[in-house]
Amino acid sequence: MRVAYYSPLPPSRSGVADYSALLLPALRERLDVVVAERGRRAPAADVALYHVGNDPDAHGWIVDALRERPGVVVLHEFVLHHLVAGITIGRGNGRGYLDAMERDLGVAGRLLGLGVLDNLLPLLWETQPERFPLAGSVLDHARGLVVHSDYVGERARGAGYGGRLWRIPHPAWPMGEVTRATDVGGDPLVGCFGFLNMNKRIPQLLEAFAALRRDRPGARLLLAGAAGERFDVQRRLERLGLDDGVERLDYVPEDRMWSLMAACDVLVNLRYPTMGETSGSVIRGLSLGKPLVVSDVGWFAELPDDVVLKVPVDEYEVDVLLAALAVAADHGAELGSAARAYVAREHDLGRVADAYASSLELAAGGDAVDEQVLLRVAGAASEIGLTDVSLVAARLREVGLGA
Amino acid sequence: MRVAVCAPQVPFVRGGAELMAEDLVAAVRDRGHEAELVTIPFKWYPGTRVLDQALLWRLADLTESDGRPIDRVIATKFPAYCVRHPNKVAWVLHQFRQAYDYDGTDLGQFGDSAIDRATVRAVRRLDDVALGEARKVFATSRNVADRLRRFNGIDAQVLPHPPQSLPYREAEPEGFVLSVNRLDRAKRIDLLIDAAKHEPALRVVITGEGPDRERLERLAAGLNGQVTFVGSVGGDELADLYARSLAVFYAPVDEDFGMVPYEAFLSGKPVVTAADSGGPLEVVRDRETGIVAAPQAESVAQACAYLAAHVDEAKAWGRAGRDVARRVTWDACVDALLG
Repeated sequence: MRVAYYSPLPPSRSGVADYSALLLPALRERLDVVVAERGRRAPAADVALYHVGNDPDAHGWIVDALRERPGVVVLHEFVLHHLVAGITIGRGNGRGYLDAMERDLGVAGRLLGLGVLDNLLPLLWETQPERFPLAGSVLDHARGLVVHSDYVGERARGAGYGGRLWRIPHPAWPMGEVTRATDVGGDPLVGCFGFLNMNKRIPQLLEAFAALRRDRPGARLLLAGAAGERFDVQRRLERLGLDDGVERLDYVPEDRMWSLMAACDVLVNLRYPTMGETSGSVIRGLSLGKPLVVSDVGWFAELPDDVVLKVPVDEYEVDVLLAALAVAADHGAELGSAARAYVAREHDLGRVADAYASSLELAAGGDAVDEQVLLRVAGAASEIGLTDVSLVAARLREVGLGA
Repeated sequence: MRVAVCAPQVPFVRGGAELMAEDLVAAVRDRGHEAELVTIPFKWYPGTRVLDQALLWRLADLTESDGRPIDRVIATKFPAYCVRHPNKVAWVLHQFRQAYDYDGTDLGQFGDSAIDRATVRAVRRLDDVALGEARKVFATSRNVADRLRRFNGIDAQVLPHPPQSLPYREAEPEGFVLSVNRLDRAKRIDLLIDAAKHEPALRVVITGEGPDRERLERLAAGLNGQVTFVGSVGGDELADLYARSLAVFYAPVDEDFGMVPYEAFLSGKPVVTAADSGGPLEVVRDRETGIVAAPQAESVAQACAYLAAHVDEAKAWGRAGRDVARRVTWDACVDALLG
């Protein structure tokens, strides 16, 4: 069976590109996969798989292809407002934006959209995208949906998606030898990797870390990742007197990132609001057996309690975060071993690829299977004079038919 | 306790699975419970028909019968274990292997079309649901348990079942190697016939019927009576053949469990099996209770010739097997299934 595979790929710098670079070889061991290319004719296939994220530059052409030919959508995050704005307003199609707003939010949504188009309201995808996710206009074209968390699955159902849905964990990278970086250090060394912005709760992390330094002067924080345009990390460090306690690195290549992570004693990955995303950085940290501190939201909240330390996003966030950093630093071995076991159990690349193969095969032929069985059931029911076959339908659904 | 033993039935076909289900009913009754065999005809082809069959079991209401509750359901095979019951126990002889290890091999029934692939996945998902809701899952062999673990992530406890009740006895070997099996390509009886071509002194008696008989008879033609087909035989005659044989050949492709080695052992006979035969390897240990040959005719021929030349060793291995077989009892099975 042939699968047309739509995704950004390296050298594109995105989590989805990394994800596909990891998944594709394993999937190719199980299915005939042909990778679709931007601007080229859609490859012939039994089913198409579309990786959808929120970046219009990386994913706009993929959504265009999806609209041409419905297929299985991998929803890497639930909030797609930026993507939708990019492929509508960004292409001079304000009406398309209004339609998407109305699709998810009714007339009020259309009016809000008009406010944005007329510059009467701030750009919603920048100010409060989580309130207006706009996933509906993508889900409408999905013949099957792959999500990485129950959180996104439930939100997709809430947005009216009623088709086949599979929860497939983010795959873990096979672990080779990782050399710990020796040019960074601390006692403990706390690491935070990825794009730096308000959503990553960097201000709260810096505040908690400053408090940690008062008890543990040897502690150092490694902030590795590009910073958002309006996010001045340096000024915040100066204000908190953290200049010499924080190591600041911009984008780091993959190999360097692994060795830096391996050198850390504790990793932190906070998030709020969540866009329903998973974090490749968290998966890497768990694979390395590092104690991890995360926010108690979305996909992060679904990680097992014995594997990560979760910090609620409330008025006690900084205090709890400070305590969690200390606990993680002191109990790294227990948390790390639970993390490694969890990743091996739930995020094994082979198992993830198996789950994709199963989902794609069901998406490609499942409707035909349902149709054949239902036709025979309906025929038999009608022959004995049954018009209400709700019991039969319920039994069918229990075993996954006619879903 | 009222116990329903659920097993599918392929009309006009009778083999180990049918015997096992009947013996289980008898064993449960022997322990003072009420037990009944519940069965539905099974036809697994073409294509999606196999799913209709699962639905038939799903629609069966076995929560009570004649106004009295049924306390326990024991289901033995796909699709019987798709039945709904709050106290369902699955004792898995095998899954629908065309959707698992047979898929993509000569023994499979599904091709590469989208609908075939989706049917395979639908069967697997059915198993996930149906076995996942069982209060306990047993497998008749380590081999079956391993498949459940590998394909479905289901942990099953290994619980072998005793062979059919026959008047087993031991007697002096009369030099022939016995095959007891359904004449089906997957049972690989052609290995034994080809072995006879390599070893002119080897005499073979083949019991059983099945769709592969004609092909096997053609293979055996021209072997100057070395190979005898006796068809289906009754219990007494089968016990007699076991008793008079030199050894028993049993080498299917990755068999789930296989009662035949146990029956051979209870007759004091060693078993010749193949290294890729699956379940039988759990009790046929090379040069302890039989010979594990390579799955090639030459290797099977050498094994049979060795046993013919070393009759005392053959007897000793058969007796060692008998001790293994005697440890598997219906009492232990019923305790586990109703516990």
